[in-house]
Amino acid sequence: MNLDHELRAALQRKTPAPGLAERVLARAGEAPRKPRRVQWAVAASLILTASLAGWTAHRRAEGERAREQVLLAMRIAGSKVAYAQQQVRGISK
Amino acid sequence: MKGPIMMKAVLRLTLILALTPAVYAQRINLDFPGLADKAREVVDVTLDGALLRLGARFLSDHDADERAVRQMVDRLEGIYVRSYEFDRDDAYDRSAIDAVRKQLGPNWKRVVTVRSKLRENVEIYTELRGENIVGLVVIAAEPRELTIVNLVGPIDLDKLANLEGQFGIPRVSKKGERP
Repeated sequence: MNLDHELRAALQRKTPAPGLAERVLARAGEAPRKPRRVQWAVAASLILTASLAGWTAHRRAEGERAREQVLLAMRIAGSKVAYAQQQVRGISK
Repeated sequence: MKGPIMMKAVLRLTLILALTPAVYAQRINLDFPGLADKAREVVDVTLDGALLRLGARFLSDHDADERAVRQMVDRLEGIYVRSYEFDRDDAYDRSAIDAVRKQLGPNWKRVVTVRSKLRENVEIYTELRGENIVGLVVIAAEPRELTIVNLVGPIDLDKLANLEGQFGIPRVSKKGERP
Protein backbone atom coordinates (compact mmCIF):
# COMPACT_ATOMS: atom_id res chain seq x y z
CA MET A 1 0.00 0.00 0.00
CA ASN A 2 2.76 2.30 0.83
CA LEU A 3 4.22 1.70 -2.56
CA ASP A 4 0.96 2.75 -4.18
CA HIS A 5 1.03 5.99 -2.31
CA GLU A 6 4.64 6.65 -3.12
CA LEU A 7 4.09 5.97 -6.80
CA ARG A 8 1.07 8.14 -6.97
CA ALA A 9 2.94 10.95 -5.25
CA ALA A 10 5.90 10.57 -7.56
CA LEU A 11 3.84 10.48 -10.73
CA GLN A 12 1.53 13.26 -9.69
CA ARG A 13 1.27 16.05 -12.22
CA LYS A 14 2.99 19.16 -10.96
CA THR A 15 2.88 22.62 -12.35
CA PRO A 16 6.36 23.74 -13.42
CA ALA A 17 7.91 26.81 -11.99
CA PRO A 18 7.08 29.96 -13.94
CA GLY A 19 9.43 30.63 -16.90
CA LEU A 20 10.70 27.03 -17.13
CA ALA A 21 9.60 26.62 -20.74
CA GLU A 22 11.46 29.79 -21.79
CA ARG A 23 14.60 28.77 -19.91
CA VAL A 24 14.59 25.32 -21.47
CA LEU A 25 14.07 26.72 -24.96
CA ALA A 26 16.80 29.30 -24.44
CA ARG A 27 19.26 26.63 -23.31
CA ALA A 28 18.26 24.34 -26.16
CA GLY A 29 19.19 27.12 -28.56
CA GLU A 30 22.64 27.65 -27.03
CA ALA A 31 23.64 24.21 -25.92
CA PRO A 32 24.40 22.40 -29.25
CA ARG A 33 27.24 24.75 -30.18
CA LYS A 34 29.87 23.23 -27.93
CA PRO A 35 29.10 19.56 -28.54
CA ARG A 36 29.01 20.16 -32.32
CA ARG A 37 32.51 21.57 -32.25
CA VAL A 38 33.69 18.58 -30.27
CA GLN A 39 31.90 16.25 -32.69
CA TRP A 40 33.65 17.89 -35.64
CA ALA A 41 37.01 17.55 -33.93
CA VAL A 42 36.38 13.89 -33.14
CA ALA A 43 35.19 13.23 -36.70
CA ALA A 44 38.21 15.02 -38.17
CA SER A 45 40.66 13.11 -36.00
CA LEU A 46 38.96 9.84 -36.88
CA ILE A 47 39.18 10.61 -40.59
CA LEU A 48 42.82 11.66 -40.16
CA THR A 49 43.67 8.49 -38.24
CA ALA A 50 41.89 6.31 -40.81
CA SER A 51 43.62 8.09 -43.70
CA LEU A 52 47.01 7.75 -42.02
CA ALA A 53 46.43 4.06 -41.36
CA GLY A 54 45.33 3.57 -44.98
CA TRP A 55 48.33 5.43 -46.32
CA THR A 56 50.72 3.45 -44.07
CA ALA A 57 49.19 0.14 -45.22
CA HIS A 58 49.39 1.23 -48.86
CA ARG A 59 53.02 2.32 -48.44
CA ARG A 60 53.89 -0.98 -46.76
CA ALA A 61 52.26 -2.98 -49.56
CA GLU A 62 54.09 -0.87 -52.14
CA GLY A 63 57.37 -1.39 -50.29
CA GLU A 64 56.89 -5.15 -50.09
CA ARG A 65 56.11 -5.27 -53.82
CA ALA A 66 59.21 -3.22 -54.59
CA ARG A 67 61.30 -5.48 -52.33
CA GLU A 68 60.09 -8.59 -54.16
CA GLN A 69 60.88 -6.95 -57.49
CA VAL A 70 64.38 -6.02 -56.31
CA LEU A 71 65.02 -9.61 -55.21
CA LEU A 72 63.62 -11.04 -58.44
CA ALA A 73 65.61 -8.65 -60.64
CA MET A 74 68.88 -9.19 -58.77
CA ARG A 75 68.35 -12.93 -58.84
CA ILE A 76 67.82 -12.93 -62.60
CA ALA A 77 70.83 -10.65 -63.13
CA GLY A 78 72.95 -12.75 -60.74
CA SER A 79 72.00 -16.03 -62.39
CA LYS A 80 72.91 -14.80 -65.89
CA VAL A 81 76.25 -13.37 -64.77
CA ALA A 82 77.01 -16.52 -62.74
CA TYR A 83 76.21 -18.73 -65.74
CA ALA A 84 78.51 -16.66 -67.98
CA GLN A 85 81.30 -16.77 -65.38
CA GLN A 86 80.94 -20.54 -65.02
CA GLN A 87 81.20 -20.98 -68.79
CA VAL A 88 84.29 -18.77 -68.96
CA ARG A 89 85.93 -20.60 -66.03
CA GLY A 90 85.03 -23.94 -67.59
CA ILE A 91 86.78 -23.01 -70.83
CA SER A 92 89.86 -21.54 -69.14
CA LYS A 93 90.40 -24.68 -67.00
CA MET B 1 80.14 41.40 -51.99
CA LYS B 2 77.63 39.96 -54.45
CA GLY B 3 80.24 39.33 -57.14
CA PRO B 4 82.34 36.72 -55.31
CA ILE B 5 79.22 34.96 -53.99
CA MET B 6 77.79 34.70 -57.50
CA MET B 7 81.14 33.51 -58.78
CA LYS B 8 81.26 30.78 -56.13
CA ALA B 9 77.72 29.67 -57.01
CA VAL B 10 78.57 29.50 -60.72
CA LEU B 11 81.75 27.53 -59.96
CA ARG B 12 79.80 25.07 -57.79
CA LEU B 13 77.17 24.61 -60.48
CA THR B 14 79.84 24.05 -63.11
CA LEU B 15 81.55 21.50 -60.87
CA ILE B 16 78.25 19.66 -60.27
CA LEU B 17 77.46 19.62 -63.98
CA ALA B 18 80.97 18.42 -64.79
CA LEU B 19 80.69 15.57 -62.28
CA THR B 20 77.16 14.54 -63.25
CA PRO B 21 78.08 12.25 -66.17
CA ALA B 22 80.60 10.50 -63.95
CA VAL B 23 77.94 9.66 -61.41
CA TYR B 24 75.04 8.67 -63.61
CA ALA B 25 75.46 5.81 -66.01
CA GLN B 26 73.43 5.26 -69.13
CA ARG B 27 69.95 3.80 -68.93
CA ILE B 28 69.06 1.60 -71.87
CA ASN B 29 65.67 1.74 -73.53
CA LEU B 30 64.13 -1.68 -73.04
CA ASP B 31 60.80 -1.09 -74.76
CA PHE B 32 60.13 -3.78 -77.34
CA PRO B 33 56.69 -3.16 -78.82
CA GLY B 34 54.67 -6.30 -79.38
CA LEU B 35 57.19 -8.68 -77.82
CA ALA B 36 55.23 -9.17 -74.60
CA ASP B 37 52.10 -10.10 -76.59
CA LYS B 38 53.92 -13.01 -78.23
CA ALA B 39 55.36 -14.30 -74.96
CA ARG B 40 53.87 -16.93 -72.72
CA GLU B 41 55.45 -15.44 -69.64
CA VAL B 42 56.85 -11.97 -69.07
CA VAL B 43 58.96 -10.53 -66.28
CA ASP B 44 59.05 -6.76 -66.37
CA VAL B 45 60.91 -4.97 -63.60
CA THR B 46 61.46 -1.23 -63.66
CA LEU B 47 62.84 0.17 -60.44
CA ASP B 48 64.43 3.55 -60.07
CA GLY B 49 64.33 6.64 -57.92
CA ALA B 50 61.98 6.57 -54.95
CA LEU B 51 60.60 3.09 -55.72
CA LEU B 52 64.06 1.55 -55.76
CA ARG B 53 64.93 3.25 -52.45
CA LEU B 54 61.65 2.04 -50.98
CA GLY B 55 62.28 -1.54 -52.10
CA ALA B 56 65.80 -1.43 -50.67
CA ARG B 57 64.44 -0.14 -47.35
CA PHE B 58 62.17 -3.15 -47.08
CA LEU B 59 65.04 -5.62 -47.51
CA SER B 60 65.72 -7.32 -44.21
CA ASP B 61 68.82 -6.43 -42.21
CA HIS B 62 68.56 -9.72 -40.32
CA ASP B 63 68.84 -11.90 -43.42
CA ALA B 64 72.43 -12.10 -44.65
CA ASP B 65 71.42 -12.60 -48.29
CA GLU B 66 68.99 -9.72 -48.32
CA ARG B 67 71.62 -7.59 -46.61
CA ALA B 68 74.02 -8.44 -49.45
CA VAL B 69 71.40 -7.43 -52.02
CA ARG B 70 70.74 -4.23 -50.12
CA GLN B 71 74.43 -3.32 -50.11
CA MET B 72 74.47 -3.64 -53.89
CA VAL B 73 71.13 -1.97 -54.49
CA ASP B 74 71.90 0.99 -52.21
CA ARG B 75 74.50 2.15 -54.74
CA LEU B 76 72.33 1.60 -57.82
CA GLU B 77 70.35 4.25 -59.63
CA GLY B 78 68.12 1.89 -61.54
CA ILE B 79 67.26 -1.76 -62.13
CA TYR B 80 65.55 -2.76 -65.36
CA VAL B 81 64.78 -6.33 -66.35
CA ARG B 82 62.77 -7.73 -69.24
CA SER B 83 62.42 -11.46 -69.59
CA TYR B 84 60.20 -13.15 -72.16
CA GLU B 85 59.44 -16.83 -72.48
CA PHE B 86 57.82 -18.20 -75.62
CA ASP B 87 55.89 -21.32 -76.54
CA ARG B 88 57.95 -22.18 -79.60
CA ASP B 89 61.49 -21.74 -80.88
CA ASP B 90 62.53 -18.47 -82.53
CA ALA B 91 59.24 -16.79 -81.70
CA TYR B 92 60.91 -13.44 -81.17
CA ASP B 93 62.59 -11.05 -83.54
CA ARG B 94 66.36 -10.84 -82.97
CA SER B 95 66.22 -7.15 -83.86
CA ALA B 96 65.34 -6.54 -80.20
CA ILE B 97 68.86 -7.64 -79.30
CA ASP B 98 70.38 -5.41 -81.98
CA ALA B 99 68.31 -2.50 -80.70
CA VAL B 100 69.94 -2.90 -77.29
CA ARG B 101 73.45 -3.27 -78.70
CA LYS B 102 73.03 -0.13 -80.82
CA GLN B 103 72.35 1.96 -77.73
CA LEU B 104 75.67 1.10 -76.11
CA GLY B 105 78.02 4.03 -76.50
CA PRO B 106 81.83 4.08 -76.60
CA ASN B 107 82.11 3.72 -72.82
CA TRP B 108 80.55 0.27 -73.02
CA LYS B 109 82.74 -2.79 -73.34
CA ARG B 110 81.67 -6.35 -74.01
CA VAL B 111 83.37 -8.32 -71.24
CA VAL B 112 81.88 -11.78 -71.72
CA THR B 113 80.32 -13.63 -74.63
CA VAL B 114 79.01 -17.15 -74.20
CA ARG B 115 77.87 -19.06 -77.26
CA SER B 116 76.23 -22.38 -76.60
CA LYS B 117 74.31 -24.78 -78.78
CA LEU B 118 72.80 -26.49 -75.78
CA ARG B 119 72.07 -23.60 -73.45
CA GLU B 120 71.69 -19.87 -73.64
CA ASN B 121 73.90 -17.34 -75.36
CA VAL B 122 74.96 -14.60 -73.02
CA GLU B 123 76.62 -11.27 -73.64
CA ILE B 124 77.71 -9.05 -70.78
CA TYR B 125 78.50 -5.39 -71.38
CA THR B 126 79.84 -3.02 -68.78
CA GLU B 127 80.02 0.73 -68.83
CA LEU B 128 83.31 1.96 -67.45
CA ARG B 129 84.23 5.26 -65.84
CA GLY B 130 87.93 5.01 -65.20
CA GLU B 131 88.36 1.60 -63.66
CA ASN B 132 84.90 1.43 -62.16
CA ILE B 133 81.90 -0.35 -63.60
CA VAL B 134 78.99 2.09 -63.50
CA GLY B 135 76.55 0.23 -65.69
CA LEU B 136 75.73 -3.29 -66.77
CA VAL B 137 73.78 -4.82 -69.62
CA VAL B 138 73.20 -8.56 -69.86
CA ILE B 139 71.62 -10.09 -72.95
CA ALA B 140 70.70 -13.75 -72.53
CA ALA B 141 69.08 -15.38 -75.54
CA GLU B 142 67.73 -18.86 -76.00
CA PRO B 143 65.42 -20.09 -78.77
CA ARG B 144 62.46 -19.77 -76.44
CA GLU B 145 63.65 -17.17 -74.00
CA LEU B 146 65.04 -13.69 -74.11
CA THR B 147 66.26 -11.84 -71.03
CA ILE B 148 67.75 -8.38 -70.92
CA VAL B 149 69.04 -6.80 -67.73
CA ASN B 150 70.22 -3.23 -67.29
CA LEU B 151 71.68 -2.11 -63.99
CA VAL B 152 72.58 1.55 -63.65
CA GLY B 153 75.18 2.44 -61.05
CA PRO B 154 78.33 0.95 -59.53
CA ILE B 155 78.35 -2.85 -59.71
CA ASP B 156 80.64 -5.60 -58.47
CA LEU B 157 80.22 -8.46 -60.96
CA ASP B 158 81.55 -11.13 -58.58
CA LYS B 159 79.18 -10.08 -55.83
CA LEU B 160 76.32 -10.05 -58.31
CA ALA B 161 77.15 -13.56 -59.50
CA ASN B 162 77.28 -14.73 -55.89
CA LEU B 163 73.68 -13.62 -55.35
CA GLU B 164 72.43 -16.30 -57.70
CA GLY B 165 70.24 -18.81 -55.94
CA GLN B 166 71.32 -17.59 -52.51
CA PHE B 167 68.30 -15.89 -51.16
CA GLY B 168 65.07 -17.56 -50.32
CA ILE B 169 62.81 -16.45 -53.10
CA PRO B 170 61.28 -18.87 -55.53
CA ARG B 171 63.23 -19.52 -58.70
CA VAL B 172 61.74 -18.10 -61.87
CA SER B 173 59.70 -21.06 -62.97
CA LYS B 174 58.33 -21.93 -66.33
CA LYS B 175 54.57 -22.16 -66.65
CA GLY B 176 53.24 -25.38 -65.17
CA GLU B 177 56.66 -26.23 -63.76
CA ARG B 178 57.28 -26.25 -60.05
CA PRO B 179 60.11 -24.09 -58.85
